[in-house]
Amino acid sequence: MSPGAIAASPRAGMSAPVEISGLAKRYATFTALGGVDLKIEGGELLTLLGPSGCGKTTLLRAVAGFLAPDSGSIRIGGRTVDGVPAQKRNIGMVFQNYAIFPHMSVADNVAYGLRARGLPDDAIKARTAKALAQVRLSALAGRFPDAMSGGQKQRVGLARAMAVEPDVLLMDEPLSNLDAKLRVEMREEIRRMQREIGITTIYVTHDQEEALAISDRVAVMERGEIRQIASPREIYEQPQHAFVAEFIGGCNWFDATYEGDTLRLAAGPAIRPMPGAAPERRQTRAVRVAIRGEDLRIAADGDDPAACLSGRTTMISFLGQRVRVQARLDASEAAMHADLPASLDLPAEGAPIRLAFDAARLRMFDAADGRRIA
Amino acid sequence: MPRPPSSSAAASTRSTVAGFFADPWHVMALVAIGFLLLFVALPLGELVRQSFVGQRSNAIGIENFQTFFGSRYFRRALANSLTIGAIGTSIALLVGVPLALAFARLEFAGKRACEIAILMSMLSPPFVGAYAWILLFGRSGIVTGFFRDLGFDPPTIYGPLGISLAVAFGLYPIVFLIVRSGLSRIDRSLEEAAANLGRGPLYVTFSVTLPVLAPALVTSALLVFLNIVSDFGTPSILGEGERYPVLATLAFSLFLSEIGAETGMAATTSVVLIAISLALVLAARGLAQRRVVANDGGGTRAAQPVRGLGGFGVALGVGALVTIANMPLLVVVVSSFLEVRGVVFQPVPTFANFAKAWATMGDALWNSLVYAGIALVGVVVAGSLIGYFTARRDGQVARALDLLVMVPYVVPGTVLGIGYASVFNDAPLYLTGTSTVLVLMYFTRRLPYMTRASSSVVYQIDRSLEEASLNLGAPPLAGFRRIMAPLMRPGILAGASIAWVEIFNELSASIVLYTAATRTLPVAAYQQSLGGDVGVAAAYGAMLIAVTALALALFAAASGRGRAGDAGWL
Repeated sequence: MSPGAIAASPRAGMSAPVEISGLAKRYATFTALGGVDLKIEGGELLTLLGPSGCGKTTLLRAVAGFLAPDSGSIRIGGRTVDGVPAQKRNIGMVFQNYAIFPHMSVADNVAYGLRARGLPDDAIKARTAKALAQVRLSALAGRFPDAMSGGQKQRVGLARAMAVEPDVLLMDEPLSNLDAKLRVEMREEIRRMQREIGITTIYVTHDQEEALAISDRVAVMERGEIRQIASPREIYEQPQHAFVAEFIGGCNWFDATYEGDTLRLAAGPAIRPMPGAAPERRQTRAVRVAIRGEDLRIAADGDDPAACLSGRTTMISFLGQRVRVQARLDASEAAMHADLPASLDLPAEGAPIRLAFDAARLRMFDAADGRRIA
Repeated sequence: MPRPPSSSAAASTRSTVAGFFADPWHVMALVAIGFLLLFVALPLGELVRQSFVGQRSNAIGIENFQTFFGSRYFRRALANSLTIGAIGTSIALLVGVPLALAFARLEFAGKRACEIAILMSMLSPPFVGAYAWILLFGRSGIVTGFFRDLGFDPPTIYGPLGISLAVAFGLYPIVFLIVRSGLSRIDRSLEEAAANLGRGPLYVTFSVTLPVLAPALVTSALLVFLNIVSDFGTPSILGEGERYPVLATLAFSLFLSEIGAETGMAATTSVVLIAISLALVLAARGLAQRRVVANDGGGTRAAQPVRGLGGFGVALGVGALVTIANMPLLVVVVSSFLEVRGVVFQPVPTFANFAKAWATMGDALWNSLVYAGIALVGVVVAGSLIGYFTARRDGQVARALDLLVMVPYVVPGTVLGIGYASVFNDAPLYLTGTSTVLVLMYFTRRLPYMTRASSSVVYQIDRSLEEASLNLGAPPLAGFRRIMAPLMRPGILAGASIAWVEIFNELSASIVLYTAATRTLPVAAYQQSLGGDVGVAAAYGAMLIAVTALALALFAAASGRGRAGDAGWL
């Protein structure tokens, strides 16, 4: 193969931006991608987060060139890659199950892509050594993968992908086969390397904690659509879609109606004025209201009764720093939970409880399309 | 998450005819389909056509089938085939299943040696086993003579029971291998759960283990049955031809009768034989696919050591079974070195049998080595590629190829031989009587097995390895050569060694297609077994066994080379 066959993008090597527009992929029975638009900045680490079947892996594989989208376009470093076969895209990829070639040594695995590019032997040697040093595996260069742990294999996968100095790095649930402790270590290491090298990275996971910890920005996907793209903090604190609020962190949900500036819970208090609703969305409609467990507290005498919920505890679970109190509301029999500081004196299971909230912490979503109103 | 069905490399959004042919895999698949249409569909189609052309009236219709089912003789052949199929399969299961259970679950003295012995009994062609049974229990057999000296007649080896025993002892290793691998895939927690719920080991075996093994049992029984009903050599030798006719021998004698061939009836008999095989395959498929047994990750049960009297008993039982099964092999090899007077072996060692065999053999050994060698190379290359293609690709081409390549699997050798002889005896493909037709026949007959061996290896190799290779910049064919080929190698070699055993010892189609110039060693051995020189027959049998074993040793050595072969072998 000629060395020029795999063209790097014209813009500076490893921090090429990726622009995805109108990307769609439909199968007979479901829509994997429903016309996705997404721009990833050069050097950014963007996570695609969502449940199984949300389209995140399909999107990643379309960028890698493993599947052809029905429509839409992908540009990497300003150059369109539509119709460019996978082997000519100069994209690095780390696989969920490592995909380490079992019949090759660690060094041969890492050198594989360099050989495919027809590099001279001394360059292959130098870049292999450098990549292995980056993942701290220099000592294992001669080992074969069958004698290695999952974490070591994934480092080999990372070194192999980075050695070719790709324009973009793709990671497909790279940590999901590792145990909990190693997962945290590895994600910190991935983040460190990614920052150091400054490579544009698309990271796929279904683990919200991992996504929040590692990303510059998170794109939450559901049913082939991106529901929200934002920084981890904003995703958590300002979810723009009911799905995002539920998927990230989980919430208590209440059916309600929204009229003028008043929010009326189906069973319980009315809140007016409901703060923060965008003016153009202020019309009467059915809504769903969410509040996070940690935004509830045990009500004091002075609390506004309109911002209180009374019920009976059903279960109390000790979780370390916090205690999760599950309760059933008197008015609606709805189940809800509150995450309270463990230092509090808590009611016994089955005892009445009154929980207070700050109306500003309520999130209100359109019951029909799930979009945020306030 | 549902993985998108197509994982093909190129991300071209347009699929044009030119694009279709630009993919080398598609070209390969179309060549394979063309080949199979010509060398499988055409001969079989011709047989079906002939079966509907009246033997007497020459009119299109079901006259031949009326003759077939109206005649006691034909009905008897059909019943005989089914009888030896049923008895033989039962014996093979009775021997193979307990052995598989013992090997999967128990650790006992001499296990390794017994395992080698079991695999050895696959080595020789079944008809050599049949011949050995005659040497032991035949009219002038060693055991028969012994009993006669004691003053009573042992039961005859000629006929259904003898045939069934002879074939079963050649085929039980199939049951053993399939059932043992089925056992190794059973999640041990299933049996633990049954025991935990209060059941004893025997009840667990019958209520959990065997039902869960059903697919493996059905598959192995099917394979054994198909092998028996399509076998030509054993029923021909032990059934003494016309005395105990079965469909395979009947089709052969109808086709090549010196008194006046009845090609129409030969075709009809062939069609009936294929219909039986096909019906069985379909029925077995329905039975075996009804439930899928997956190991949920609980791991398999480790073999338990049995010591003391129990261990001795198990070792003795296994040893006795294996010894009986290997008796034919031993008898043939030992007798080949014994002097013959008249038709009786004397306890005098000699090489005279081999000298005589060598002198009368002509080109038979050489022919066998050359034809089988060429066919083996072809079958390994084509089978690996087709297996890879059908395992990795979706779409109509892959599905059509997958279906077509399996057709020879249900076609008995004699039938395929008759089909070839009927179709390729005229321009433009005048092949009858050539060595090419033998090589093509070997190739076609073994292709389904090699393809399956290859695709099952491919299924075990993670798809993402190839994607990683692409992603790292290696073009698809380079990825196949550098990643898939080395990883497929051990499985392919295992498949190739079985293919060699089968091809080198092939008799039932060769017997239809050979000529004086293209006679093979199994044909020569068969002819000598059938009323020739008993010493020469034993010598031929021993030579077949020796060449097969030598080749297997070479394959084993090749697959043992391990990482030395990393550069790839294609």
